[in-house]
Amino acid sequence: MAGTEPEAPEEEAFEEARPGGRVQAVVAGVLPVAIGAFAAWLAFGLRIGSLTDPGPGLWPLIVAGLLVACGVGIAIIAATAKAHHGTEAFTKGAFAVLCAAGALAVYASLFEVVGFEVPTLLLLFAWLRFLGRESWLSSAVIAVVATAVAYALFILGLGVPLPHIIAF
Amino acid sequence: MDFSSVLSGFSVAFEPQNLLFCLIGVTVGMLIGVLPGLGPAATIAILLPITYTLEPTAAVIMLAGIFYGAQYGGTITSVLLRMPGEASTVVTALDGHALARRGEAGPALGVAAIASFIGGTASILLLTFIAPALAGVALAFGPAEYTVLALIGIFLVGTLGSGSLWKSAAAAALGLLIATVGLDPLLGTPRFTFGTDQLADGIDFTIVAMGLFGVGEILYNLEHRDRPQPAVPAFGRAIPSRLHWLRSRMAILRGSVTGFVLGILPGGGATMSSLVSYAVEKRVAKDPSRFGKGAVEGVAGPESANNAAATSSFIPLLTLGIPANATMAVLFGALMLQGITPGPGLMTEHPDVFWGVVNSMYVGNLLLLALSIPLIGVFVRMLRVRPGVLAPLTVVITMLGVYSIRNNAFDMLLVVGLGLLGYGMRKLGFEPGPFVLAFVLGSLLEASFRRSMRLFGGDVTEFVQRPVSGTLVAILVLTAVVVPLLRSVRSRQTAAAERAAAE
Repeated sequence: MAGTEPEAPEEEAFEEARPGGRVQAVVAGVLPVAIGAFAAWLAFGLRIGSLTDPGPGLWPLIVAGLLVACGVGIAIIAATAKAHHGTEAFTKGAFAVLCAAGALAVYASLFEVVGFEVPTLLLLFAWLRFLGRESWLSSAVIAVVATAVAYALFILGLGVPLPHIIAF
Repeated sequence: MDFSSVLSGFSVAFEPQNLLFCLIGVTVGMLIGVLPGLGPAATIAILLPITYTLEPTAAVIMLAGIFYGAQYGGTITSVLLRMPGEASTVVTALDGHALARRGEAGPALGVAAIASFIGGTASILLLTFIAPALAGVALAFGPAEYTVLALIGIFLVGTLGSGSLWKSAAAAALGLLIATVGLDPLLGTPRFTFGTDQLADGIDFTIVAMGLFGVGEILYNLEHRDRPQPAVPAFGRAIPSRLHWLRSRMAILRGSVTGFVLGILPGGGATMSSLVSYAVEKRVAKDPSRFGKGAVEGVAGPESANNAAATSSFIPLLTLGIPANATMAVLFGALMLQGITPGPGLMTEHPDVFWGVVNSMYVGNLLLLALSIPLIGVFVRMLRVRPGVLAPLTVVITMLGVYSIRNNAFDMLLVVGLGLLGYGMRKLGFEPGPFVLAFVLGSLLEASFRRSMRLFGGDVTEFVQRPVSGTLVAILVLTAVVVPLLRSVRSRQTAAAERAAAE
């Protein structure tokens, strides 16, 4: 069924992604401010000390302050600038990115519970079929072969103690 | 200098057993350099148990071969797939991949292999002749000097990107912040661990690199999987043309020197020198706008630099007992396992190990050059694999590689999180380069800063008053003034060029 997918017409300029708007540019400044402020709040929970006798919190506080300052700078520039070249607009494809990240998180969580074979097989198959748009057959074949190769390479070859259910 | 021990080092390096382990080392290194995720530090750590049974010289020759072999191998995926196998080949991807998409994958890889060979070999020569003298200079560095040095490093990388200075600075600050996760380096207080033991040791650099570059890149490409894939570029000759060579030779020379010098400094190393070399090439170029679009100097400079740095980063380990990077830290462990303490005494107490390992690098670099040219054809075929197939395979290798570092599934979750961060940063216009460098230098910078503050009794002006650190501060100020000026000139030129192109 490869090649029957209709191409999205608005994506003709695929070399350069579309820049994001003013909101996204401002968000790029607000996020560092938020992260910096949160880190600074946590740093205050540690002992700050003084320049003569620095505590564990002093350095994180300095760095967090730097992050906040940069974020403010970015936000001000973004709010006043006429053109926004710095960011890239999110597309429909961002949903696939979240799905993939979610699948990987599930994979990592199952890993130590049921061994690496089944999760690896399922991850590969799902990714190949739904994100890679391979056919059912080739997805299945590649997933099985790749899992077997990973088993041979990591467990038999390199001796990495991956949790596994199939033992020789 | 005692030349007889240098020469007897050659006889050690040419022993059949050592030649064999050199070949095994560089081949494994090249392979893992190509596999994204499993870096030299992780690989060497995995292979540590095997080296128990080996003779010390053979063991270190093999492990060293993995390290510099990975520098060659990392280039291949950087150029062909824009997936840097190693952090030190990240900048190679910028122009290397642009060249590959233009159908010049062969020449790009050829230039990279030759640049790597020249950089590595020049660095061994320099190491042999000036290691003792440079060790003396580095010995004089105190915490104040390291503080300023780390700042210069981060600053240089911050100005490297074509993005905004504010965003580069923010990315660097975030990197420094993430580096503070874990136990306080001087007092042992847990910081930002959110009560979990998993974060007590901090976040491993390999995990940050794998997450930001590996998973982040895969996720980013996933968003645009509907984009029509450009046809696989035809594979040209693996040997660079005359034009490529003429353009690269000065870059290779500059890169070798940059790499050698930066590789010696702890915290510097292959990654920083490749980034700095790229910045230097971009600045000396007559037309900097070619960079990022397939300038061969952008491949030649960083590639010679990262190999020169990989070689010279052995200097602080072998002469001072200070590992300059993560891989050197693992090699430190390997030497200790063999009952050899790396340090000033190594050259006199174990001259066979010291000069045997150093001289085996000549052999290793020759082997790598010989391996690269025929193997390039094999690896170019990887481009024909559909990205929809390659992405899940890469992601599984990365995840298993991550697990292999500490046999810890939490690290896999961390990598996914960092991958999302890398994706988000890219969408919002933040460059990962300054982030990663700041992360690497973070603990050094903090520890040096705090030690200096105690030393100076809280007086910040002492940084300027001490001769060595004062000189470094002057250099920092000079770069801070000159670089933005250069940037504004450059951006005006770029804007003018864009207007001209639009009309």
